[in-house]
Amino acid sequence: MKKIWAFMLLFFAGFMLYGDVPVRKEQLIYTILAFNGKDYSPTFSGEFSDAIYLIAGVDNFLSVRKTLVYYWPITGEWKTDTESLNVLFEGRLELKTGGEDPRMLEQKKYTYYNIRGEYELNWKVDQGEKAEEAWARYQDILNAYWDSVQEYQKAKYVYDLMFQELIKKTGELREAGEDVSELLKNLETLHPPEQPEYPKEYIVPPVQVQEAFILNLPVGEYGIRLFTEEGAVMEDSERRVVVFNKRRDQGIGLEVIPGDRWTRPVESKRPASVLYMDGSTDIYLRPFFQQEYNDLFYEKLKKNDSRGNPNLMKWVRIQQVPEARIEVIGSDRNPVTVLEKPYYVEQVKGAALGYRIVPYDPEGAHKDRDPSLKAFHIAISRGERRIKLRVRDKMGNVLTGSERQIRIIRSPGTGTVLIVLALLPLLAMMIVRSRRSRKHTL
Amino acid sequence: MSERLHAVRVIGRLKVRETLIGPGYYITLTLGLLLGYFLVRGFTASVDSSGFNYHLHPVYDLIGRSLEGVFGATFVEQLFAEGPFLFALSVCFVPVFIYLAVSSVFRFGLEKKVGALELLAYGPADGAAYFLASFVKDLLLSLLSLAIIACFLLAAALMNNLLLGPMFAYSLVLILFFSLSIYAYGILASSLTENSGSAIALFTGIILFFLIILLGSFTIVSDYVQTLSRVFAWVVQWLSPFFYSNLGLQAVQAGETGKIVLSLILLLTVSGALLFLSHITLKVKGVRA
Repeated sequence: MKKIWAFMLLFFAGFMLYGDVPVRKEQLIYTILAFNGKDYSPTFSGEFSDAIYLIAGVDNFLSVRKTLVYYWPITGEWKTDTESLNVLFEGRLELKTGGEDPRMLEQKKYTYYNIRGEYELNWKVDQGEKAEEAWARYQDILNAYWDSVQEYQKAKYVYDLMFQELIKKTGELREAGEDVSELLKNLETLHPPEQPEYPKEYIVPPVQVQEAFILNLPVGEYGIRLFTEEGAVMEDSERRVVVFNKRRDQGIGLEVIPGDRWTRPVESKRPASVLYMDGSTDIYLRPFFQQEYNDLFYEKLKKNDSRGNPNLMKWVRIQQVPEARIEVIGSDRNPVTVLEKPYYVEQVKGAALGYRIVPYDPEGAHKDRDPSLKAFHIAISRGERRIKLRVRDKMGNVLTGSERQIRIIRSPGTGTVLIVLALLPLLAMMIVRSRRSRKHTL
Repeated sequence: MSERLHAVRVIGRLKVRETLIGPGYYITLTLGLLLGYFLVRGFTASVDSSGFNYHLHPVYDLIGRSLEGVFGATFVEQLFAEGPFLFALSVCFVPVFIYLAVSSVFRFGLEKKVGALELLAYGPADGAAYFLASFVKDLLLSLLSLAIIACFLLAAALMNNLLLGPMFAYSLVLILFFSLSIYAYGILASSLTENSGSAIALFTGIILFFLIILLGSFTIVSDYVQTLSRVFAWVVQWLSPFFYSNLGLQAVQAGETGKIVLSLILLLTVSGALLFLSHITLKVKGVRA
């Protein structure tokens, strides 16, 4: 009997070992490729959401499809299983806004890419024929590159053969005691072919041409729904579209990299914020442009099922300030201009572990290596109380919202004084009450 | 009018003296300052080479994680962007603020019930003079408390090389105006009810209602709660001191001076309207319980 019980216990316990498999449900979803101020974020709006969030005045891409949707409790996210089911719907998108006649939008071919420029943000969107042309142009560049790679490999093969042949001949002649100066001259004139460079025209190359509804709308709230090719409204396709804009863009944020923890940078985004440090290490700064958005709207734009605070605004990092310089005013009140320099991160040897940031030495210790980071070095010491800094652009103008203060906090040894100060009202109470009782006694 | 003002001055002075004789005010003020001390000390212990990190201190870790879980990371980032003092100021003021508000409501209800208010009304003072005196007492003691708290936090800032921050100065003014409208709600609750218990219950109910609505609209835990609170807020926010204070704080963050002044004016308007309503209520109902 005991054996049967033990078997049953093991049998049922075995079931408990298997985790819950998320239930996949067939849903009509909007796949969204929304511009977030610095690049494009892919997300989707399923049955769990009634609204789509987009930034005003930029091209955003929407398509409607049927797929399997499931909730992944480990990360608390909704996910799609497009490998099992992915049916793209054709049709027209009805766009409604309060008081105006609805507009019908057709799907359009599109591609988007980011070309190299002075700034990181050079996003371009091409539609229709132009999208095909942009894609073809990119393909031509790629094909030309691969052709040149092929040419290079051929030339390299020939070069290697000739080189080996010359080496072999030189060796043979040397062994035979003959003159090899002619061959050595040939060897010196023999140069390897140059390796072709990967095309640098794009930071993000054009995506393959696709079709989607392109929404470029002013700020407001809209309603959308899909009409099939037969003219019927697609069930579950109704959504609200919330189009919002940045509140401010006159802000400079600072990425702060502590010298002893370069893998744990922090960001100072609010112009009034103070950088409190313990003064144990120098810091490395990287200033960036930022824009201020509604917290909830921006979070939902990037990921439709995420959460945010509708009553708060947040600064969003957009791109690094090019050719900036930082003016530092220490305790001596003399402004010092710090320039951006390359640095190399070295692993600390011994039991201490960790990293340290040292100036990049391309000729010496770091030869043939790339710098780990380019940043502004700010020396910090425990003796310093306050350091003020502000960012200037390449023309020397102070950038609005770039002023910050670094404060090196004192080691907490003032606790007793503060406790005594906090207890002063009790002392006042005792004085008042003793005076009063004395008055009444007399 | 001058008689009423005189009565306000005399009763107000008496009430201030009564409060300063009792131990409650000192104890709550000390409690607030001690809380402030622990918050500042916790903050300095949460700073390392990469700046402020609330995970480094157990108390701040608890506070930070709780706030982040309910209101989101952006809320916590903004709260501690300038240092600990925005949070510390609010926490320091809470005990003395609750004491002043509740004791005024309790006293009003008690004096109404035992007939002291009626006795006064037969003399040179009326109901309005009585509650205005109570309001003035709360205003003066709030000013005194905020001044003491500000001095204490300034001392803490100087000793630890911290910065009070521009938000702190604005928050001091906002908190004062906010507390005035809460005291006005206390007076209205007292004038509407017959005794201390029901006055405190009504007052607490009103304040909790507004507080829950505000916190609900800030929460990120549930979309449903957020939406429901926003609908409620849209209807009742115009009466809520929390709403106008929040408007003021947002204006401070955005650097919009006009909106800061507007929020202060609106808080004063709410206080004035509530006091006027209390006056009408006492006129209609009389001062007898």
